[in-house]
Amino acid sequence: MFKVYRNIDFFDCPFPKGSKKDYSTSLGIRQCFQRILPLGSGQKFFEKLIREISLVLLTLKSRLCFSRLKPRLIPLILVLFLSIFSFDASAQRFPKPEFESGFEQEAHQLTLPRSDFMEYFDVFVLLVAMSLITWLILKKRSRKGVFWMSIFSILYFGFYREGCVCSVGSLQNIALALFNPGYKIPLTVLAFFLIPLVYALFFGRTFCAGVCPLGAIQDIFAWKPLQLKPWLQKMLGLIPFIYLGLAVLYAATATDFVICRYDPFVGFYRINAEFTMIVLGGLFLLTSIFIARPYCRFICPYGVLLNWMSRFSKYHMTITPNECIQCKLCENSCPFGAIEIPEVSVPKEPKKKSVRRFVSLALIIPALAILGAWTGAQFHENLAMVHPKVKLAEEVFIINENGGFDENNTENETLEIDAYRRSGQAAEELYAEAEIILKQFYTGGIWLGGFLGLVFGFTLAGLSLFRYREDYEPNKGECLSCARCMDYCPVEKEITVKN
Amino acid sequence: MVEKNKNIKTWETIARISIAFALLISVLLIVNYVQYKTMDPVESELILGLVQRLNENPEDAQLRDEIRALDLLSRKAYFTKQWQVRTGGYLLLMSIVLLVIVKQMQLNNNGKQVDLSEREDGFENQKKTRLWVSVSGGVIVVIALAFAFLNHQDLGENLNQAIAQKMEVKPTQETQKTPVPHETIIETPNDNNQTPPKEEIAIVEEVQEEAKNENIAEETKPEPNQKAIGKKEEIVKQEEQVKEEPSKVVAEVVKEEKSTAKNFPTEAELKANYNAFRGFGSNGIDFHKNIPTKWDAGTGENILWKLEIPIHGYNSPIIWGDKLFLSGANANKREVYCIDRNTGKLIWTYDVSAVPGSPEKSPKVTDDTGLAAPSLTTNGNLVFALFGNGDLVALDLSGKKVWDKNLGATNNHYGHSSSLVVHEEVLIVQYDIKRNPKLLGLNISNGEEIYKTPRKVKVSWASPVLVNTGSKMEVILAADPIIASYNPKTGVENWQVDCIFGEVGPSVAYGDGIVFGVNEYAKLVAIKLGEIAEILWEDDELLSDVPSPIVKDGLMYLATSYGVVACYDAVSGEKYWENEFDNGFYGSPIYSDGNIFLMDMGGILHVFKAGKEFQSIASNPLGEDGMTSPAFMDGRIYIRGNKHLICVGK
Repeated sequence: MFKVYRNIDFFDCPFPKGSKKDYSTSLGIRQCFQRILPLGSGQKFFEKLIREISLVLLTLKSRLCFSRLKPRLIPLILVLFLSIFSFDASAQRFPKPEFESGFEQEAHQLTLPRSDFMEYFDVFVLLVAMSLITWLILKKRSRKGVFWMSIFSILYFGFYREGCVCSVGSLQNIALALFNPGYKIPLTVLAFFLIPLVYALFFGRTFCAGVCPLGAIQDIFAWKPLQLKPWLQKMLGLIPFIYLGLAVLYAATATDFVICRYDPFVGFYRINAEFTMIVLGGLFLLTSIFIARPYCRFICPYGVLLNWMSRFSKYHMTITPNECIQCKLCENSCPFGAIEIPEVSVPKEPKKKSVRRFVSLALIIPALAILGAWTGAQFHENLAMVHPKVKLAEEVFIINENGGFDENNTENETLEIDAYRRSGQAAEELYAEAEIILKQFYTGGIWLGGFLGLVFGFTLAGLSLFRYREDYEPNKGECLSCARCMDYCPVEKEITVKN
Repeated sequence: MVEKNKNIKTWETIARISIAFALLISVLLIVNYVQYKTMDPVESELILGLVQRLNENPEDAQLRDEIRALDLLSRKAYFTKQWQVRTGGYLLLMSIVLLVIVKQMQLNNNGKQVDLSEREDGFENQKKTRLWVSVSGGVIVVIALAFAFLNHQDLGENLNQAIAQKMEVKPTQETQKTPVPHETIIETPNDNNQTPPKEEIAIVEEVQEEAKNENIAEETKPEPNQKAIGKKEEIVKQEEQVKEEPSKVVAEVVKEEKSTAKNFPTEAELKANYNAFRGFGSNGIDFHKNIPTKWDAGTGENILWKLEIPIHGYNSPIIWGDKLFLSGANANKREVYCIDRNTGKLIWTYDVSAVPGSPEKSPKVTDDTGLAAPSLTTNGNLVFALFGNGDLVALDLSGKKVWDKNLGATNNHYGHSSSLVVHEEVLIVQYDIKRNPKLLGLNISNGEEIYKTPRKVKVSWASPVLVNTGSKMEVILAADPIIASYNPKTGVENWQVDCIFGEVGPSVAYGDGIVFGVNEYAKLVAIKLGEIAEILWEDDELLSDVPSPIVKDGLMYLATSYGVVACYDAVSGEKYWENEFDNGFYGSPIYSDGNIFLMDMGGILHVFKAGKEFQSIASNPLGEDGMTSPAFMDGRIYIRGNKHLICVGK
């Protein structure tokens, strides 16, 4: 019950450290609480509740004050607030242990456990945030509102919740749950996965607009966005499909949650990441200045799902609140290149030729899927090498082929080999486990390759279609609903005719 | 308008300063980070060189001071760099936040920048895009195939062949051993490369056992063996079974025969003594009466005698008749003590040395575990002691060695602490060490392995608990990730429940058909035994790190390392009470004469009433720290502190 607070540095514990198993970390804090708040066992729930609420109030306090303060003070408060957050989040009771073997403790992928109440509170916050931003975009048509929602998301889902649970990563939990019946997916994770998708199905990608902390942090850096060439944008836009396929494959085989491991921004939110990840995150933010939201557009695998859902959205935002007057002011306003320009001109090639190409491309789709599946099957060993057990089995196999372990010379052993050797596990047992995983990857490789073949096939087929369009419209799949284009439209919502 | 332009300029200036500051900090951070990473205050070449010089001339006080000063300087520099990296990170973050704010202000002030440049032709765009998508798809396929074929090792096939080869080798190896179910290897004492006919095993072993037992029996008091009369007839019957079933039956038969043929203490005898850690069966329940509840080591009230123990150890006292046994060990010496429990005089000390296979150097252990943490056990004829370096010794009650052996290096972090229990002819050793954890059943007469059951568990510091669960005797062990029960005679697993994890210290408790297991950071779990063992209830509010729970009269008592003691309903899991003491507990509670006795880390033995309400009876200071569990006998309590053994009685 109290373990969740182990590393939270609320009070300095007046008790001496015990010598075994960090006696003071989990136990001293409990004693501290009982000294400071002399509560009986029946009041533990309130003890927990009061502390959680105080944290939330601390988070919201600054936001609540915003409306009463002069705008010029807002930046000051923000800086102060972020600094406090940074210091608070980084205050670890104990530094990371240093190992003689050179092993370095990795930056944590998961945040500290949270009470059920707070987990459901997070879902509630997500629901409120989604509803509010959807209202701001569709009804108020307010870019400023979206911007402030982004700030809120950065603070709450980013710095306070340390980027976890995030909807982007949750798709891995779904994949793991689908392929591993033993894994019970938490309801909150399911909610974080489904809620943005449901909203996208009706209202477009309002989640991307300002609720996703990964998108929000990039969005505030989009100062001088350049328009990418459409072909380049389309080509780079295929990367998320590959990433999605890999993420699902690795989650389904219980190998790793690659989206979380290689999340470039979570290191900022946790003030704790590998140096390389901090550099990568920094590069993404720098790129964001000129190429708006590079992660969202060219990496994010959850964006693929939102893209699919959003295509069917009935109440998607529109650039103009009324009839388009073809003023062209908005034509290049979208930093993401998601505005479709009117296509009213006569086609540049004979219709017959277009139709023939479309049909031939459509026929090629199955062939591409088969080619992809075959390639994936061939590539499965490379994919499987990411799995630590397969990697270990390969290394042990090579050692055994070369005469077995040299017990007297273990200095050059990797930590994994050393751990395996000490475990005493029989080699055939390890091989058998690795073989099962390899088979999973063989099947997974076929599916992954087939999926990517279909993606390329449909993309090519889609590029042979011309849609007749009279007005400037957002591309429902790619539009992130940031509401920037709305500011450019001179058309009023209701035209009042003066006599 | 002028005001607006002025604002824009101000924002621009701030933005430039922020960018410059952020860049400067970034450069400094990178430089600092590289220095910090390449710096190792412990392995400084300069200091190592000076240390080398000091080793050559150890009397050079000036050089020593110089090394100390340099070492301090080097460490200071290291931690200063660490602080600089951290502080620089915050400064960078703040400058970026400022930059973001400024840029947003600029964007607001600048208004919309309308770009009216013409877009490329849609048709041409699509054409180009089709080309690039096709090219990129082709490149991906080529790269994937190139990697696939260049790195292709046919790993799956290779592994498959390796498994097949191993499987071919295995059966020939196993013909030399007696196969048993559940991966249990039963090795006969006369195990050699030439296995005698199965039918002969029982008879050969029996003759050997008898010969050995005769020697032991001369020194102890032999009792008439009533069951030995029908022995030969039973063997003939068993031989018929042997012909039908594989050799595993032979092993069972051998042990059944041996158990009935020997002079083992009865249950009543065991209960009348205190032969193991936490008493009878190591289950924490004592059966003696008239146990004193109040004393004071300071004033001498109710203290009968006090004996300084030569070498420290964390094992708890065990008693047989008038003799009390303890052990102590340090890095160089291991000793077993026999004390007259009536007078407090040391009767004999056995110096455990020259044990075959004993490592030259004792393993590194923490101070709170030491090298003599496992408590001893006795069957009234022999006393057995295990030490942290793996040395195991069997002595008769006069201190003469019967056998000794080394079980192999433990190499557990903290040290090894699982205590011993003995059941009939089997000395049971929970040897859940880092490498090849196992349950060992050793022949008490000669130390040979009767069985060795491999266990797929992590290191455990818990002790085996030996209980009669209604129809049979079971030895129950706790270790990450299972609580498991075994046949104490054969080592064959009865059941296991995957329910515990972490560094398991507390042993299980058994009562009312329920097994209780607990560990800190895991959970408290009640396992109902029946046709299948299943979890009855579990809880994670109060968890024990070291002390083991006990069960008595439908109530389960749990002490925790942080000083909270609680009482639960054994069946429903309802908590009746919890009470917090000033000190934490490492010693386990023992039930005796209607009360619970529990020693805290400060050396205060708390006595409270066993029942649904907490009722403290006394808190008795020992006068020194202590972490062991007391032993009880004939209206007396024997308590081991960190330095002394104290006898409490009226």
